[in-house]
Amino acid sequence: MDDIKWLQGKGKPGIKSFFQDILTRGLIDTVLMPAKNKKGNSYAWFLMNKDGFLETSDPIPPVMTIQGANILKNITKKGESWSKTAVVLRPCELRAVIELTKLEQINLENIILISFDCPGAYPLTQYISGDQTSLDQKYDSSLYTASFETERNACIMCDKFTGQGADIQLCFLGQSDDGFLISAASAKGKELLKDVNGTNEENLEIKTKKRDELLGQLQKEKNEKRQVILDRFKETIYGTDNLLNVFSACINCHNCRRACPICFCSECYFESKALYSEADNQLNRATRKNALRMPSDLLLFHLGRMNHMSISCVSCGACEDACPENIPVSLLFSLVSRDTQAVFNYDPGHSLEEPLPFVVYKNEELKEYEAHYTKRHQSACNCNTK
Amino acid sequence: MSDEKEFIPNIVYGLCAWCGTGGSETAAAHHLKYPENIKPFRVMCTGALDPVYILRALIEGADGFIVSGCHPGDCHYDSGNYRARRRIAALKSILNTLGLDSDRVWLRWVGHGEGQRLVDTAFEFNEHIKKLGPNPLKSRRDS
Amino acid sequence: MEKIYDSQMNVHDFIKAMFEKNIVSGLGALTQLPDNKGISYSLLSDGFDFQKCMPFYPVMPANAAIAVSKLTRETSPSSPIAVFLRPCELRALIELTKIKQARLDNLILISFDCSGVFPFKDGKYPTEDTLKRYDQSIKEAKINDTIRQVCKGCENYQPEGADIAISIIGRGVHESLALSFATEKGKSIQEKMGLTASEIQPSTIEQLTSDKKRNKQELFKNTQISNLDELLDVFDTCIACRACSYVCPICYCKNCYFDSQTFQYYPENYAQRLNKKNTLRLPLDRIFFHMGRLSHMGSSCVACGMCSDVCPVDIPVSEMFKAGGQNIQGVFNYQPGQNLDEPMPLVTYQEKELHEMED
Repeated sequence: MDDIKWLQGKGKPGIKSFFQDILTRGLIDTVLMPAKNKKGNSYAWFLMNKDGFLETSDPIPPVMTIQGANILKNITKKGESWSKTAVVLRPCELRAVIELTKLEQINLENIILISFDCPGAYPLTQYISGDQTSLDQKYDSSLYTASFETERNACIMCDKFTGQGADIQLCFLGQSDDGFLISAASAKGKELLKDVNGTNEENLEIKTKKRDELLGQLQKEKNEKRQVILDRFKETIYGTDNLLNVFSACINCHNCRRACPICFCSECYFESKALYSEADNQLNRATRKNALRMPSDLLLFHLGRMNHMSISCVSCGACEDACPENIPVSLLFSLVSRDTQAVFNYDPGHSLEEPLPFVVYKNEELKEYEAHYTKRHQSACNCNTK
Repeated sequence: MSDEKEFIPNIVYGLCAWCGTGGSETAAAHHLKYPENIKPFRVMCTGALDPVYILRALIEGADGFIVSGCHPGDCHYDSGNYRARRRIAALKSILNTLGLDSDRVWLRWVGHGEGQRLVDTAFEFNEHIKKLGPNPLKSRRDS
Repeated sequence: MEKIYDSQMNVHDFIKAMFEKNIVSGLGALTQLPDNKGISYSLLSDGFDFQKCMPFYPVMPANAAIAVSKLTRETSPSSPIAVFLRPCELRALIELTKIKQARLDNLILISFDCSGVFPFKDGKYPTEDTLKRYDQSIKEAKINDTIRQVCKGCENYQPEGADIAISIIGRGVHESLALSFATEKGKSIQEKMGLTASEIQPSTIEQLTSDKKRNKQELFKNTQISNLDELLDVFDTCIACRACSYVCPICYCKNCYFDSQTFQYYPENYAQRLNKKNTLRLPLDRIFFHMGRLSHMGSSCVACGMCSDVCPVDIPVSEMFKAGGQNIQGVFNYQPGQNLDEPMPLVTYQEKELHEMED
C-alpha cells in the first residue's frame, strides 16, 4: 500500500508535529491552519511559513470561528497560490471549498487540501464565554473515540465527518492515541505522502480495518440520527404559523448570509436596489396586511437565500454560530437542503467533477414538477362560444 | 344565491416573451377570454424568472403563481426553459418542505400557437386556487 | 422649555385619535408579533389593532432609523406617516437625512424621554418581572440596573427635535400621555387634536442626568484602550462578520469600502506580507476595519448600541465607539442628530481652524 502510512505521535501534539515536519523539510512551503488567538480564548486562521510556525497552532480546533473556505477564498480568488500551500480544513469546510471551486471563487492550483476525522465543534459563543482549558481538555481526549458531545446543531447531526475528498486525510478514529493514519487520495497527496516519515508496517491493514469498522458503524448511526433530528425539527416548523414563529426573533441582520461560505456574492440580491421601493408602495403593502414588519422582506430573504444556495449547502453551521439571536438557521437550512439536493441527486462538496445542478440542464427530466395539460377546460369552452 | 362572499384569487401568470406571451396573443386573435383576476407578467424567458419574484408575489399578496414558457426543445435561448424547470423544481421542493403549499406554483409549457391551451390553463389554475383558498402567507404581517 | 400638556389619553387612544382625525395614514412603531411571539418595528395602517402597538417596549430589535430610511430613501410618502423613535434613533434619522438617506417631508417624528433598553441577544426578551422593575424605575426617574451599558451611560435621553415629545420619566408608561409640541408640524397637530388645556409640570431629572453622566465616565474608563496590545485584545475574538456595520444606522453605504475590491488581494500580496512577517493572521485588515469604520462614522455615531447587541462574540463595540465617537465629535464641537441644519464636520471646511492638530 503506497497511499497510506502510519505516523507515530502522541495525541494532538503528535498531529501538530506532522505539519511542523513537512514544513521544515520543505515538502510544503506554507501552511494555512487555525491557531489560538492572542488572548487564548478563541481561535483564528494563520498563514505560516517554516520560520513562522506557531506553537499554539491546532489543526483540529474545538471551535469553528470563520469557515475555512472563506479564508481560502480570500487568498486564491484572484489567482493561484504563489507557493505550495497545505490547508487544514474540517470536512464541512472542505466540502465548501469544493463548492466554491466549482463556483470559480477558489483556485486549487498549488493547494494541498488536508482534512481529518472531525469530532465536531463547540458552539462559538459557548466556547468563548466558557472555561477554555477544560473545554479543550474534554475535546482533545475524544479525538480517537468519537465520543465528543456538543450542543452545536450542525455537528450533532453531521454524517459526513471524514475528510473524504481531500488530497490528504488524517485518520484517528479507532486508533490508539499514540499515532494516526495518513492516507492520500489524489496524485498531489500521494506525491506528498511519498516523503512523509511514516511507517509502512505490516499491521497497517489491521489499523485501517479497525477504523473502517468503527467508521461504518458511526456513519450509519449518525445518518439515522440526522434523519430523526431533521424529521422532528420539520414537525416543529411546518406550515406558515410555525415557520414564522422560528423567525420571530430575527432582526434581519443578514449575518447568516455573511458567515455562509456558499453565499459568495459580494453584493447580495437582498441588499441590492432591487428591493428598494417607494414610501407609498410600502404603505400600500402595510395597508394590505394591516401592518408591515420593518425592516421589511425578512421571510423573503430567508426563503430566497434557500433558493439561491441550499443546493450547495454543506451544513457547516457557520450561520447559526453567527446569528446573534440563536435562531436554528443551520437546522432549517439543512432540512431544506436535504430535499432540494435530493431533487437533483446532488451531493455538495463530494466531487469536483459533479457539475452544479444550475449549470447543466436536460431535455427530459423533472417532469413531476410540471403541471400536465389534460383537457380542455369547461368554462374556457363556454367563454369561447359566447 | 349564496350570501357568502366569493373568493376571487389573486393570480400572477408569468409568461415568457416568445411562447407564453405568444400563446396569449393567439388567444386574443381567437377572441378567447381568461379570468380577469389573473395578471399576466411578461419576462423575456422563463429562465430569467428568478424564483425570488414568485416568493415575493406569494408573500405580498398573490394566492397563486403560474409560469408558462416554450415547450422543451423550443426555447428561444436554447435552454432557458430547462433552467426555469430546475429552479421551479427547487422552489417547489423548498415550499413543500416548509409546508407552504407548493401547489400554489405551477409550471406548464404553452407554445406560441396554443391560445386555447393558455386559456384552459388559466381557468384550470384559477379553479385549483379557488379550491385551495386564500394563501395564508399573504396576510401575515410578521413576514 | 416647551409647555407640556396632559392629553388625557393613553398611547393607544392617542394613536387611534391621530388616525381618526386623519392626521396620519400610517404609523411606525414597535409592535407585538402575532400570538405575542416577539416584538418588531412595524409600519401600521388604519385597520391595525393598535392595542398591539408598544412604542415604549424596552428592546431595540433594529435601529428604527434604518426602517425609516428604507421607507423614505426613494421618495417621501404622499400622505403623512408618524414614526415613534427613541432619542438615539431620532438622532440617527437626522444624520441619515443629512446624508440624503432619508426624507422627513410628510413624516411626523414622535419621540419620548428614554429610559434605555435591554440587550436583545439570543432571541431573549425581558421577563414580566424585569419589565415591572423597569416601569418602576421610570416612575422613580432612576436607572434600571440591567439595561444595556451604553443606555446606562446615555445622557442624551431627551427627545430633541421631535415634532411631538412625550414625557414619561417620573410618570410611567401607563399614565395618560404628557405631550409637548416643539415644531410647526407639532403645533398644527396640537391644534387638530385640540390639546390646549391642563398644562403639567415637568419632572425633576437633574439627579438622573448626573447619574448617567457618572455612568458614562465609568464606562469610558472601563473600555478605554491605551495601547496597541489592549486594542488587539479587545478585537481578538472578532470573526470579521461585519454585523456591527450592517446594523449601524450611520453605516449606510451599500457597498462598504472594507468589503470592496480594494481589500481583495492578489495571492502575490499575501506572499509579500507573509515573507515579511512569517506568520499572517487571516482575514487581513480585521482591526483596520474597526478603526476605519470609526473614522468613517465616528463623527455621526449616536451611541444607539445596536453593534454590541448583534456581535456574535460579545465584543463591547458600542461602548468603545461611543467613546471614540465622542472624541471625534469633540474636535469639531459637533452633536450628531441634534439639528438638521448643522452641517456635518466632514463636509464643511474652513481655512482657519484646527491649528492645534497641526505640527
